[in-house]
Amino acid sequence: MTEQMQAETADAAAIRQAQKRRNAWLAFALVAFVVIVGVSTALRIQQTDFSGGDRLYFSGYMDEAASEKADREAQKRIAERQAAEAAAAAEASDE
Amino acid sequence: MSVDMTAQQTSPRLATARDYVELLKPRIMMLVVFTALAGLVAAVSLSGQGVNPVLATVAILAVALGSGAAGAINMWYDADIDAVMTRTSTRPIPSGAVPKDEALAMGLIMSGVSVLLMWIAANVLAAGLLALSIVYYGWFYTMVLKRRTAQNIVIGGAAGAFPPVIGWAVVTGTTPLDAWILFAIIFFWTPPHFWALSLVAHKEYKKAGVPMLPVTNGAKATRLQILIYTILLAPIGLSPLVTGLGGIVYGVIGAILTVGFMYHAGKVWRSKAGEPDAGDAERKIAMSMFAFSILYLFGLFAALIIEHGFGLYFPLGGL
Repeated sequence: MTEQMQAETADAAAIRQAQKRRNAWLAFALVAFVVIVGVSTALRIQQTDFSGGDRLYFSGYMDEAASEKADREAQKRIAERQAAEAAAAAEASDE
Repeated sequence: MSVDMTAQQTSPRLATARDYVELLKPRIMMLVVFTALAGLVAAVSLSGQGVNPVLATVAILAVALGSGAAGAINMWYDADIDAVMTRTSTRPIPSGAVPKDEALAMGLIMSGVSVLLMWIAANVLAAGLLALSIVYYGWFYTMVLKRRTAQNIVIGGAAGAFPPVIGWAVVTGTTPLDAWILFAIIFFWTPPHFWALSLVAHKEYKKAGVPMLPVTNGAKATRLQILIYTILLAPIGLSPLVTGLGGIVYGVIGAILTVGFMYHAGKVWRSKAGEPDAGDAERKIAMSMFAFSILYLFGLFAALIIEHGFGLYFPLGGL
């Protein structure tokens, strides 16, 4: 084997090694991305009150009026439910 | 202004992890992350709104990725002038370690990922501001301003000023006056910071055809502009004391740093820094100003983190 061939073989091995390292880093980045997105989404779902009209990702408070309207409607629903429960309880105690 | 467009990548060499890290401009990234963190911490303290620590970490990571993405796009576009200037000729693209297309792809993918992560972790306003800052630096400053006008640093400075506003938006979903004061501090800090460096590197910029102020208007005009912007910066840097954003700790640190910055600006103004016959002493004066400017910004934002993050906030009044 000539010196030139030996050098070329060494170069090819070094390139393969570099590609392997790069692929490993890319795989790590992809896995990290998936984990971060998963954990973030789980946390966001956990702290979001969907019954109150919260939106999961469009939660930038860009539309204050809509947000306040949703809050008012949610409070109205809760009040109505509590009133119905109170009425049912009163009815039950009367009987 | 002509650029030596014949400058090509030198013979390729195998890229290392260090080359890819360098492509993201890690020093700028650190400052960006630090200022974003200061905005976030101050917002939590002053608004009383909580933020999940994991989501806050992801948001800060998104800011770091966005900064790196803009840096990679900047290096992709500026590869021709980087090859001409000695200071930047060893960067990953001109040195042949990272192919240009790869740098662009990395920048674009990271831009998308960072904005997406910010949206998922925080809110649409923070994500929108991050996207705006990436476009501002990667396109408006790099491709429109830098090679066209001597005001490139002044107008382009806004790109680096967004992070504390983004940090604030992460917590509250809004950008109140205090957030924009932090923006203004970085905006007015950028010209004297960068021009101090360009007084030393003006020959390089001239060689590359970049119209930096010392190249287009001369060293004397640049030294005067440094002084003017420093005088403008002084009250802006202390304005958090008026709104209540900064307390006693900020006041003390801010006052000392402001005096120091003014002293350095005055010294540069009186010197011959940037002149053809300037010697090592003048070069040192300009570089001292450059170094102190970094300390100034770091000090102001560190004061905010100390006050609002470690329970040492003792307001002086405020609006």
